[in-house]
Order: sequence, then C-alpha cells, then structure tokens
Amino acid sequence: MKNNSGIKVIRNDLSSKKPLNILEKIEESLEKLNEKMEVMIEIQKNSPANPNPHNVPAIPDASLDVMTLLSMPDHLRKTAMTICRCSKATAEEVAEQTQRARAVESAYLNQLVIMGYIKKERKGRKAYFYIDREAQS
Amino acid sequence: MSKIIAVHSYKGGTGKTSMAVNIAATLAKNGKKVCLFDLDFRAPSLFAILKAQNVETWFNDYLNNSCEIDKAIVDMSPRIPGSGKFYACLANPSTEAIRDMSSKDRKWEMRALGRILALRESLLRDQKFDYLVFDTSPGLQYSSINAIVAADFVVVATTGDRSDVDGTKRMLAELYNLFEKKTGLVLNKVLDPSLSSRKTEMQTKIKADYKVPMLGMVPCFCEVLRAEGNFIFAQDKPDHPFTKIVAEMVKKIETNDVN
Repeated sequence: MKNNSGIKVIRNDLSSKKPLNILEKIEESLEKLNEKMEVMIEIQKNSPANPNPHNVPAIPDASLDVMTLLSMPDHLRKTAMTICRCSKATAEEVAEQTQRARAVESAYLNQLVIMGYIKKERKGRKAYFYIDREAQS
Repeated sequence: MSKIIAVHSYKGGTGKTSMAVNIAATLAKNGKKVCLFDLDFRAPSLFAILKAQNVETWFNDYLNNSCEIDKAIVDMSPRIPGSGKFYACLANPSTEAIRDMSSKDRKWEMRALGRILALRESLLRDQKFDYLVFDTSPGLQYSSINAIVAADFVVVATTGDRSDVDGTKRMLAELYNLFEKKTGLVLNKVLDPSLSSRKTEMQTKIKADYKVPMLGMVPCFCEVLRAEGNFIFAQDKPDHPFTKIVAEMVKKIETNDVN
C-alpha cells in the first residue's frame, strides 16, 4: 500500500512539473557535486604534508590585497589576479584568460571561496565569482 | 597594447617622477589623451612639478571613495600645448593627508586596488583616454604594488649605484615576475658617455644581467639637475638629448617594441 502511494506521489509530481525542469535540477546538483569534488581533489593535491582537507584556513572575508596575492602559491595567484581584473567572472571566462582548463579554474576558484578571498553567486545555471570589496569594511 | 604604464624603482631618487612626467608629456605631444597619476602618497611631488593651482579634490579622495574620478583629475593641457590632452590626478601634499594615507589597513588597500583597476573602464573605455601613467613611490609598498598590478607595462628606473642594483634585481625577480608584468628597464644617470654609443652591447648585457629588456639609457645630464624641476624637458626643451631619449622610449612603448 505504502509503495503504491509513493509511486502515486511521484506520478503526481511528474505530471505537475515538466520533466525537463527535473532533469535540469539533477544536472545542477551534479554540477555542484562535481565542483565540490574538484575542490577536494585540488586541496589534497596541493597539501601533501597536510592530508586533512579540513586544515585549509577558512577565513571569512579575508582581504585579497596585493601582499596576499604576492604570498599565494603561483597557481592560485594566476586565478586570483584574473578575478581582480574582471569584476565578476565564471570559471569558463577565467579559463579563457589563463588558458588553463575550465575544471582546473573551477577548482582554484572554489578553493579561493573556501579561503574567504572571493565570493560565489549563482545565477540560473551559471556560477559567478567576484571580490566583495565593499562588504569588507 | 600597453595602455596603463607604471613607473617604479627600488630606491628613491632614481628619476621616476622625471621619467613619468616626461613620458606622459611626450605622449600628449604625440596627440594622445593622457592622465598622469601621483601614487607617491608619502612624498607627493607632481603638484609642485606641474605647478598645479586651486586643486580641491585629490587622487586620495577618489581612493577614499569620497568622489568620482572626474572630480579628481585636473586638465593641465595648457601646460603641455599640442594636439593631445594632458590631465593630472594629484596626491594631496598636506601633512594630514600623508599621515592619513600612511595609516591605511589591508582592506582599504584592497578596495583601493579595486578603484585603481576601475580606471580602465571609467577613463580608458568611457572617457576615451589613450594612456594612464602612474608615478609611484619607491620599493615594495601597497600603493606601488597596486599600481603595478593594475598596469600593462612597468618602466623600472635604476641607477648604477650598488645600493640600487641588487634590490632592483630582486624586485624584478620576486615582484614583477610573480605578477607576470611586461617590464622595461631604464638605466638612468649613466656617467660613462661611451656606454650610449655601445647601445646594442649594453642592451644584451642588461638583458642577461637583469633578465628584463632595456627600454632606454639616460646619461647623467647636468642640465636636468640644474633645471631643479622647473622644466618639463619634453615640453620646454624639445631639442635636448634627454627629450629625444624619452621620445625614443615612448615610441617603443607605443609600438610595443620592447624586447
């Protein structure tokens, strides 16, 4: 009985919403998962002495000033500099400028978000990265 | 193409300001719309050199977010007559302003970088400026590094002095390289006049030594010292060799021929 009613609910759901919407939501969730995994892979890759990914400093609203840029590892500086130049950009736009793969830039950008240097905002299916200079007063 | 040019050096007294003023003036003489910025907030000098009067709003105010850039730039075209346009954005020379600028924190500097980067849109794109020239303060300071990060091309002035050479080399390797900046070295106050006749040889030597291309070599001209900052050579002494050397450097920058 229980199973039948469960199926009924899904059927109702499917008939009320367009299947395309559901697929889009699944895709969006998969993309989010993918980004999270990329970040985890990247963190592990860049901290061999530090196998615990939770050791990445999570500083809320850390300032991305030039001295911070100077002290960053080369691979992150390149990404951070690109975000400094464009006021807002997607991983794809950053990748175009740095000439590195989109997935790589996406991982670096998400790492910068975790470190508190940049912010991330979703608009539809696209994720935009930016420096929130005004909020950091 | 280089649209934003920063003039920087490791030590003070290497001729940065003189270089920046003359590069900007030469560009204006060549018919370009140019704005010269004073980013030496600890020892502002453009105000005096350009003999600016009645300045009420400064570059400091723009960076402090208390005015837009239009209010902070002064039309100095009458000072540099020609087909181009010459504007200046000056640092406030008052002691209070210098003290205020010296006490800024990292977050302010980060926002200042954002304001400097925004000049590309407000001045180059919207107001159709051809070039922005940044005169900076020496060494590794926030205002100078902000200018370098925002620039397309960095002119590094250096002298043969031991105190300057090593620091300049280190700065080139550890600062400009990290930011992947296009750089040109100006060897200033060269005492041996025979060096300028061995230009190609010097160029190769500089490139091997400093690992950056040479933009130009300026002999030590007593007339420049004697002028006591009262002349802008590019404007007031058009036939002086110093003016001609600057013109050559500007041509290299304009045609992207620095290698």
